[in-house]
Amino acid sequence: MPLDSEKTLKVGSGKQFGAEQAEELVRIEHLSKEYVQRRPLTGAEFTVRALEDANLTIRRGITLALVGESGAGKSTLGRCLALLEEPDSGEIWFDGKNLLKLSRRELFPMHRQIQLVFQDPTSALNPGMTAEEIITEPLAIHREGTKAQRRERARELMEQVDLPARLEHKRPLELSGGQRQRLAIARALALKPKLLVLDEALSSLDLLNQELILKLLADLQRIHSLTYLHISHDLRLVSQFADEVAVMHDRRIVEQQPASELFMQPHDRYTQELLAAMPSLESICAERLA
Amino acid sequence: MTKRRKYRGVLILLAAFHCLILFAGFFAPYDFATQNRDVPFAPPTGLHFVDAQGNFHARPFIYGLKSNPGHPMTLVAEQGEKYPLRFFVQGSRYKLAGLFNVNLHFFGVEGPAPVFLMGSDGYGRDQFSRFLYGGQISLLAGLLAAFLSVSLGIVLGAVSGFYGGWIDAALMRGGELFLALPWLYLLFAVRASMPLHIAAGQVFLLLIAVIGLIGWARPARLIRGVVLSAKERNFVLAAKGFGASDGYVLCRHVMPQTYGVALTQMTLLIPQYVLAEVTLSFLGVGVGEPMPSWGTLLAALQQYYVLSSYWWMFLPALILVPLFLAYYAVADAFQERLKPATL
Amino acid sequence: MRYITQRFFHAVLLLIAVSFFSFALLQLAPGDFFDAMRLNPQISRQTIGTLRSEYGLDKPLPIRYERWLRSVLKGELGLSLASNSPVAPLLRERARNTLLLSGAATVLAWLLALPIGIWAAVKRGGWADRACGLATSTILAVPDLLLFLALLLLAVRTGWFPTGGMASAGVDDLDRWGRLKDVAFHLALPAMGLALATMPALIRHIRSSMIEALESPFLRAARGHGIPRTRLVLRYAFPAASNPLISLFGFSVATMLSASALAEIVLSWPGLGPLLVESILSRDVFVVVGIVMLSSVFLVAGNLIADLLLFASDPRIRTE
Repeated sequence: MPLDSEKTLKVGSGKQFGAEQAEELVRIEHLSKEYVQRRPLTGAEFTVRALEDANLTIRRGITLALVGESGAGKSTLGRCLALLEEPDSGEIWFDGKNLLKLSRRELFPMHRQIQLVFQDPTSALNPGMTAEEIITEPLAIHREGTKAQRRERARELMEQVDLPARLEHKRPLELSGGQRQRLAIARALALKPKLLVLDEALSSLDLLNQELILKLLADLQRIHSLTYLHISHDLRLVSQFADEVAVMHDRRIVEQQPASELFMQPHDRYTQELLAAMPSLESICAERLA
Repeated sequence: MTKRRKYRGVLILLAAFHCLILFAGFFAPYDFATQNRDVPFAPPTGLHFVDAQGNFHARPFIYGLKSNPGHPMTLVAEQGEKYPLRFFVQGSRYKLAGLFNVNLHFFGVEGPAPVFLMGSDGYGRDQFSRFLYGGQISLLAGLLAAFLSVSLGIVLGAVSGFYGGWIDAALMRGGELFLALPWLYLLFAVRASMPLHIAAGQVFLLLIAVIGLIGWARPARLIRGVVLSAKERNFVLAAKGFGASDGYVLCRHVMPQTYGVALTQMTLLIPQYVLAEVTLSFLGVGVGEPMPSWGTLLAALQQYYVLSSYWWMFLPALILVPLFLAYYAVADAFQERLKPATL
Repeated sequence: MRYITQRFFHAVLLLIAVSFFSFALLQLAPGDFFDAMRLNPQISRQTIGTLRSEYGLDKPLPIRYERWLRSVLKGELGLSLASNSPVAPLLRERARNTLLLSGAATVLAWLLALPIGIWAAVKRGGWADRACGLATSTILAVPDLLLFLALLLLAVRTGWFPTGGMASAGVDDLDRWGRLKDVAFHLALPAMGLALATMPALIRHIRSSMIEALESPFLRAARGHGIPRTRLVLRYAFPAASNPLISLFGFSVATMLSASALAEIVLSWPGLGPLLVESILSRDVFVVVGIVMLSSVFLVAGNLIADLLLFASDPRIRTE
């Protein structure tokens, strides 16, 4: 399927905010987290450091891609940001508020503003619930609207993500992979968040679905003024849509640049290695810039 | 899908059997305590359609009993007067479902000849009637105790698995205590800790409590396992991502994953617990006479002469075999159909 | 080594907890051994009171437990109220008989279950395997009680086996070999019954463990190398299945103990089971506690042995 000719490369073009002027939505400072795990047979404990002094800024309205090899800590950072995990130290500023200092009650409404889309939609959806129930669940938790209103909203959202309305009573196992991911996205949008964290959200899809979902995400971003934190290990994919790229290595952020700068002139040694491992990227960039 | 049809058949038979027990008063021709000392250890009454002259009767009939000239201690059918079997007859009073006083019975025989479908015991009591009434005790005890065990197991296992920490450690250690004793010894020990001679109704409830309470450890462990893996699933995390509280997540997402296991466990425990009650009553530390637990019915077999001469006294035990087979089949079916949905 | 000592301490702690638990449980019950005496008008209340305090039955729970513990350490396990003698010697002989029966039944059961289970696994799916499955399912559904009663009937009717007890009359006249044969003769029926009761579950588990081992990738690779089938099964698959099988052994100790109690009662084998029921009916508290504790010791010991066997056989556990 030919690429939409309108959707030219984002690297270097796309949204030019005059990046410095766009205001900050998220600022992560000195984030650290370690896990304690047990060895399988003897039960002895050992710690795993997932994040160490990670710093990141996300500006409003852009798509920031967070790349790096597996195990570098990207998912952990995403989950801490989405309030799914608690970091050991550091600060997360969202829209001017320090998230880690908020009480449980104050934190509750924050969940509406940041949502996470998981890598594997199948595991992220309760197999016993119908599509409609899945989408309306966040609304129910935050007690928004009556039952009828929620159902209406669910239909609205399904339309926005290109899911046919007849699927509303189907369960996840009856949907295809692409449809499940759309459902997950619809659910994430239910509460009208400002920030969407996409944790390798495209990795489990085939190339065709990847394209479709990318386009969908771009449209949604435009319509709802969303900000995306897109976590991925696939540089080639990232090059297609990212405004800014942050590189994570060994539990820290080693570089964060607007996409064009990063691909053309990486500062950090690791980034250079990463890019060097993808020989075709240069030619892609060159070709696209032309 | 013949397998499904097979399961359905089994389920229907099982339900029918339970109905029989539930309405014991209606289906039993006699009361469980009615003694008839003239006819001790009578063999099962045969139902005949053809009489001595070779005539066919549509309505089955029975013969009376007399002493067997060859074997002095046994009884045998007396070929003479015919007593027809009638349906929906009036008989002794009983309480239907414990509420209404009725005296309608499914079948019975007019006249002096007793109809012992499963023979009679040393006091001339109808074993069939006692079997049905006994089922109310033994089967009900098993069902209630299994329900108690699994319920307790669900609550403790869920709390243990979901909250972890010291409460998990404490509960699992406690469970180990219960599992460190062979269950029959534990059963005896707990029974021993309760007063020996108490009113019949109380004994019943006590037995259920005892059997049910000691068996919580294994279901709890299983449920805990399910909860442990369920709470790590991404859809639980996603709900937390909306700000859902622990309690909500537990009820809405985690617990439904346990229902399959819980139901299967219960179905597997029922035969075991019925057997526990039967064993206790058999040994005289369960329900006492004249309450007709299946165990007390079998207790007579401890005497050698009963064991070797009166084969029909085995029948209550023999009927347990297909009953348990049915329960195991249903448990198998549950396990297949209610596996937590995964891809 | 650490693993072993850890398991051992764990076992000891568990036993202490069990002792307290069972002791407390039994002392809970209202009434005691001397209640029966109260009905006898010839025994004055005073006498009963004195007897009570003599046995310490009027003291509070912790003191009673402490006195009992001391008695345990002395090797006496408390006092039997019925026979007015220490509990331990009473239990010794009975415990020996129970162990004899359980041991014999275990050996018999495993000796038969292993080849059958392995064979069923090798022939899985075939008619032999399905027949085996049917047989085990049926026997599983037969209550142990019925099984033992049926065997008793067999003994009574045919006279092939003695119907109870451990020794025939006049056994003292026989020499050592004769006495052994006599015991074996009496042991046969209960041991067979017990083995029959516990075999179906064993066969099923052995079969499924073997199937898992037979279908594992490493075994398929071995088959691809052309290793003959018998060798495959015995030298490759069976050792791989040994881990779950040893765990199964530990687990089967518990079921064997419970089943043996019933077998002893029905088939009149003088083990711990009948003594337990007797003392429950007579409220001989310390005997009951002693038996419960002893059975727990057997169970925990059995599991400990299984743990040790696992440690010895499975290298994964040894590497920390």
